[in-house]
Amino acid sequence: MTYKTARALTRRTLLKTSAMATVGTLAAPSILRAQSSELVIGCAGSHTAWMETIVAPHMKETIGADILFEGTKSSVNLEKMSSNKDAPYLSVVQMDDPVMIQAVEADLLTPITPDAVPNMTDLRTDATHMDGMWCNYVQPWAGIAYNTDKTDGVASWSALWEPANAGQIIIPSLQNTEGMWTLMSAAMLGSGLPFSEAQYEIDAAFAKLEELKPNLLTVYSTMSQAFNLLEQGEISMLSGNFSSYTLPRKAEGVPVDLAAPAEGIFAMPSGICLVKGGPNPELAQAYVNEMLGPVMQAAIADFASSVPANTTVTAGAVVPEGVQIYAPDWAFVASNRAEWIDRFDKLMAL
Amino acid sequence: MIMRLDRIGLLAVPGLAFLAVIYALPLVLLLFKSVQGVDGLTLITYIDFFGDEFNQVVLWRTLRVALLTTLLALAIAYPTAFAMARAKGIWLNVFLVALVLPMSLGVIVKAFAWSILFRSNGFLNTSLQSLGITDEPIRMLFTETALIIGAANVFLPFMVLPIYTVVRQLNRNLPEAASSLGATPWFRFTRVTLPLTLPGVVAGSAFTFSLAISMYVIPSLIVGERQQTLSMLIARSFLYLRNEPLGSTISAVLLAIAIFVVLFSSWLAGRLGARK
Repeated sequence: MTYKTARALTRRTLLKTSAMATVGTLAAPSILRAQSSELVIGCAGSHTAWMETIVAPHMKETIGADILFEGTKSSVNLEKMSSNKDAPYLSVVQMDDPVMIQAVEADLLTPITPDAVPNMTDLRTDATHMDGMWCNYVQPWAGIAYNTDKTDGVASWSALWEPANAGQIIIPSLQNTEGMWTLMSAAMLGSGLPFSEAQYEIDAAFAKLEELKPNLLTVYSTMSQAFNLLEQGEISMLSGNFSSYTLPRKAEGVPVDLAAPAEGIFAMPSGICLVKGGPNPELAQAYVNEMLGPVMQAAIADFASSVPANTTVTAGAVVPEGVQIYAPDWAFVASNRAEWIDRFDKLMAL
Repeated sequence: MIMRLDRIGLLAVPGLAFLAVIYALPLVLLLFKSVQGVDGLTLITYIDFFGDEFNQVVLWRTLRVALLTTLLALAIAYPTAFAMARAKGIWLNVFLVALVLPMSLGVIVKAFAWSILFRSNGFLNTSLQSLGITDEPIRMLFTETALIIGAANVFLPFMVLPIYTVVRQLNRNLPEAASSLGATPWFRFTRVTLPLTLPGVVAGSAFTFSLAISMYVIPSLIVGERQQTLSMLIARSFLYLRNEPLGSTISAVLLAIAIFVVLFSSWLAGRLGARK
């Protein structure tokens, strides 16, 4: 009996088994992925709630896709695409417009065409960019989120600068796309120009941001933590937050609301694109088609309090009346963003 | 005998090969990028990095936070290690579980818990006001103090365990012998016990300092973007500025600090061991 056991584990058997196990372990993800109907989608971390509850079940039912989400920042999604350019593992990415521009410049995307994605013909004309390189699928609006136990509302962007709010404000880093709204507001207040012109007055914006520092508790790059502090009443206002995040929390009874300051609010750019050379290309096109179709558009717009991009859909967010919605010059933002991030970080740190 | 040593040495091959491919090779490539210029090798990114006031502030803050975290962890860990060394049976298990169990809890969960503790109406501020120590809430969230406390909490096991290992092996007869010769408790501690436990202190400090100087998630969550550290600068360079030479340069600076700490602690441990 002992002899048999000893023979069962010879050196050759051990080496052979170890080698097979190693090769099998390393190859398993590729084998499984190649054979499966899995689609890996890069998206924003804050989208996880509706991606899991609405999108994943719908995609399984309609196109038979097993959806795997990787929720993170747009810039991290861009880095994932860039680092894996020769062997992409993401099929579709949902990220912000300025980062889409960088992805197009790096030749990481393949165009969305009406032949493969028929629902794109129903989109608003301004929702398709750079000859179909990406489309906006929903559009939340951005203003100032506030704690309703601490303040009754926010009438103007200048409220962020009021001395009474010392230590009561958190703003996003410029690393986050929503960080642009505070920068634009600072440009508007600093230059005295409307948003459409003020967005190019960056020196005025940074001078005004310098004045905001005494009011800042911190600058975030992880939004959920900052929002948690707003909900707890540790701060009064969270600048640049958007309807798809604040309004669902308000609907759940949390003491928060989203203010639309009189000077204007902003349109959050939520884009969807096909990764060049990504796995399961036909399934990826079917996914994008469903995301732009009336069923998904209505469901996401309702859940995330956003404006649908599909013109046949009437559901979704109620945009505040009488307040202008601005969309910045994203090409200008994309070409200057790295320099602004560097300048912003130094301003906030020193 | 030599033949046998060689064959046993083969056991290290998988580990060395793994380290060479997964750790050393990417590091070499990273270091190369930090000195790669348009016209050949250059140190310009290093000159730019050390010449920038912002980088100097971040470098100094990173070193200061790592040092203070190490000192705080040491102050808590040293007596704890003695208590553990004296504990027996169920109490020893309680100590070990209390030390190891929190490591299984993610830093994100801990950071949210700390925000409840540190906020203006949180437990600490409420207690200070109830005791009459403060009149109004003091700011604790997003401060360097909160970062040091949080980091020391996360890295405490890496300080306690090396000291505990050394204290367990301490010959208890030596302090008693010193006592029988008339040594005071303070003299016994400073001249007998402390020198014998210093190798554990050095090892624990090296572990804690190395972890604290390279931490990324903890400062990101506790102090945010206004008080960046070197690791946050590295992420920012690669992900947002898309400046690979700068990211590689900061990585090289961080690596140089880590190598210095490891070599210095090895040298110190060797010196202390020789003296012992």
